[in-house]
Amino acid sequence: MAKEAISAQERRERALMVLTPLVSVLLALVVGAVIIACLGKDPIEGYRAMLQGSLGDLSKLSKTLERACPLVFTGLCAVFAYKCGVFNLGGEGQLIMGACATAATILGLGGEGVPALALGLLAGIVAGALWALLPGILKITRGLNEMITTIMLNYVALYFMEHIFKNVFSDQGLPKTVALPAGVRLPKLLGAHVGVIIAVVLGLVVWYVIFRTSFGFKIRAVGMNPVASRVNGFPVRRLVLLAFIISGAIAGLGGAVELMGKTPFRLAAGFGAGFGFDGVAIALIAQLNPIAALLVALLFGILSTGGIMMQSVIGVPTAIVDIIRGMIIIFTVAGMASIKLPQLRALIASWGSKSTEAEASA
Amino acid sequence: MEGVSKRFGSFYANRNVTLSVEEGEVHTLLGENGAGKSTLMNILVGLYQPTEGRILIRGEEVDISSPGVAVAHGIGMVHQHFMLIENMTGLENIILGDRRHRTPLLQEAADRATVEELMERYGLEIDLDARVSDMSIGMQQRVEIMKVLFRGADLLVLDEPTAVLTDLEVQGLFDIMRSLTGEGKSIIFISHKMREVMRISDRVTVLRRGETVATVPVAGATEQELADLMIGQKFTESTYRKVEDAHEPALTLCEVSWHPEVKHGGLKEVSLAINRGEILGVAGIDGNGQAALAELVTGLVRPESGELVGPDGAQIALFSPEAFIDAGLGNIPEDRNKMGLVGDMTVAENLVLKQTRSERFSRGHGAWLKMNAIERHANRLREENDIRCTSVNQLARSLSGGNQQKVILARELEGHPSLLVAVYPTRGLDIGATEFIHDQIVAQRDAGCAVLLISADFDEVLKLSDRIVVLFEGQIMGTYPGANPPIKEISLAMAGK
Repeated sequence: MAKEAISAQERRERALMVLTPLVSVLLALVVGAVIIACLGKDPIEGYRAMLQGSLGDLSKLSKTLERACPLVFTGLCAVFAYKCGVFNLGGEGQLIMGACATAATILGLGGEGVPALALGLLAGIVAGALWALLPGILKITRGLNEMITTIMLNYVALYFMEHIFKNVFSDQGLPKTVALPAGVRLPKLLGAHVGVIIAVVLGLVVWYVIFRTSFGFKIRAVGMNPVASRVNGFPVRRLVLLAFIISGAIAGLGGAVELMGKTPFRLAAGFGAGFGFDGVAIALIAQLNPIAALLVALLFGILSTGGIMMQSVIGVPTAIVDIIRGMIIIFTVAGMASIKLPQLRALIASWGSKSTEAEASA
Repeated sequence: MEGVSKRFGSFYANRNVTLSVEEGEVHTLLGENGAGKSTLMNILVGLYQPTEGRILIRGEEVDISSPGVAVAHGIGMVHQHFMLIENMTGLENIILGDRRHRTPLLQEAADRATVEELMERYGLEIDLDARVSDMSIGMQQRVEIMKVLFRGADLLVLDEPTAVLTDLEVQGLFDIMRSLTGEGKSIIFISHKMREVMRISDRVTVLRRGETVATVPVAGATEQELADLMIGQKFTESTYRKVEDAHEPALTLCEVSWHPEVKHGGLKEVSLAINRGEILGVAGIDGNGQAALAELVTGLVRPESGELVGPDGAQIALFSPEAFIDAGLGNIPEDRNKMGLVGDMTVAENLVLKQTRSERFSRGHGAWLKMNAIERHANRLREENDIRCTSVNQLARSLSGGNQQKVILARELEGHPSLLVAVYPTRGLDIGATEFIHDQIVAQRDAGCAVLLISADFDEVLKLSDRIVVLFEGQIMGTYPGANPPIKEISLAMAGK
């Protein structure tokens, strides 16, 4: 049976939800083009260089995919938590703790081959989950705001990682860890490490869990109305805690994959920097849809790797790319908010009635 | 206020209401919840515009287009929930937003003198330098009153000011009210606590279902007369058959207490049995423990003392909505949007809310939801319960109130509960939806379900109940038969006698 028609009003609203991010990306690119033109360069050539540099051939594509990979994890981490009404801003800390645990397990225990690989990934998952469990417990027992606690724990994770690479597994006293031995690096497939495949599969799995299982159903219900969820017999506190744990585990796995998959295969200053908040931005632009998050993460990857090529070809700083990325976020969030404005709603409704009238007369 | 009406959509919150307040009097606005008191006052202070009618101040017609205009005309309101900034001092809260000095700098010294003079004159004791968060509730209220006086109000609206106060603080408030009226100020006092109304008011205007019933001087009236006016005495013979021989109890409360020190919200040693095949109606003026009772019998809170006994005669140990639902509870909660539905989920999703792990709607205990089965189920319930929506994939929040309530009812009755708790099940609904919901509740009773009906609508309680208990200040005042109920006695009990 075909899905029954929903009201015209709702159909329009849903179409707008999809359109907003697309229009935002276009607008952001236009703004970027204006800035490039103001700098006296040719924006068309710049954007061509960007595409060339990110998707031009297989090696560039795989670089882009590897760049997007950790963002998929932090993006999905944010998506899962927000679906349950948990504002986990600690994706970065959870990713870093995951990577630290992976490094400690592999460098500490030694070992090679598939068992060591699996153990490394598992260590990342567990550490990420535990790092998110902390603010989760603080929230459900003491009511502490997770936005604050997760951000603060990001710094704790950052300095913990510094301790690891400076003091515990330091490479001959330099501020970086020893590189992981070749036997415990993620295998490559067509130039990109298999972490990319893990990320894509995870995106599909998260979508499935959220939209097609009873557990995901309850997670969504709690996110949208915790009071009604409680009255209707859902274990709200347990579900919230699980949302923390799963979201942290996703980020932690991302940390393990990033460490084991990407050169230089070691922890050093700057590892994971910015991934957390990029993940939050991705989740918002993707409107909390896990599959859309995959695409948005890819877009972010294209902007990053392509930006470097744009810099070298037309000579504009990569900061342009940061501006474009920022613009996408601003336009999307502003667009989402303005859809809810009553005046705009009325306008959309009047368009709709005109088009239905047109259909009727046709 | 003359002939004032306010319409929301097709619903009249106020219809042709007339209210006149004399200088220097305490005029009480009396009515049940939903009688239209708040709407009327919101019109007076400029938050709503009347659909019809006019407002006259000292004989001159005025157009109160905004709260600012109301202040300029000397009308000030003290809301039930205080609107103070906790981290500021009393004085700062009082002078906040006042523009009399027309200077960018605060004139704190001058304002302090003004406020102190007002304090002196009306006997309002306020610690001006204490932060609001450190003040007692009574003093916070005095800050609110002072705010209004400072802005030069001659007519003060006090919205249920005694709801949050202790007896001693109520006495203090009444003293202040007396000194205010002594100086020629007028007060509109909103309350449904009969005793206080009798003590403080000069005249009373009774509202019922948005209309003025009567304006009477308190001198010469009795509590009984006022209660009769408020709840209405037209008893129409119920169209439903009344059951007199109920079956065994589905749930028994034995001397259950929950925050008994709170007069308007707690429960004090309540004992009652909810029997199968019977509708037990709880009558009472809102705010006498109904909410606590509903939370107790649905597992949301645990009693502080006393016990609940299940159908098997065993004491209930585990208080959680889950456990109660598993034991066969159907619940039509007080606030359908907040407690009953997840508004941002679809109608279909709301209809299977509790059953997503069942074999019917999923494979492997919830590992794979059968989307088609969920949609078919929703369409069937939509058909059976006449839920009007364009599609079951519509978001629940986009339905009208009546249809939302039908969604909840369909979901709760579908599992054939052994105990149905219905709290204000028809509040705000039109006649058609109300009739439908009443029919469904009675049908459940006939099928052997135990029904606990809690409602502030006295007519509804009379119409449906096979047995009636009255709650007053957290205690049960009496139990009455549902067939040929002794209305006089019941309304006396509701007033606390």
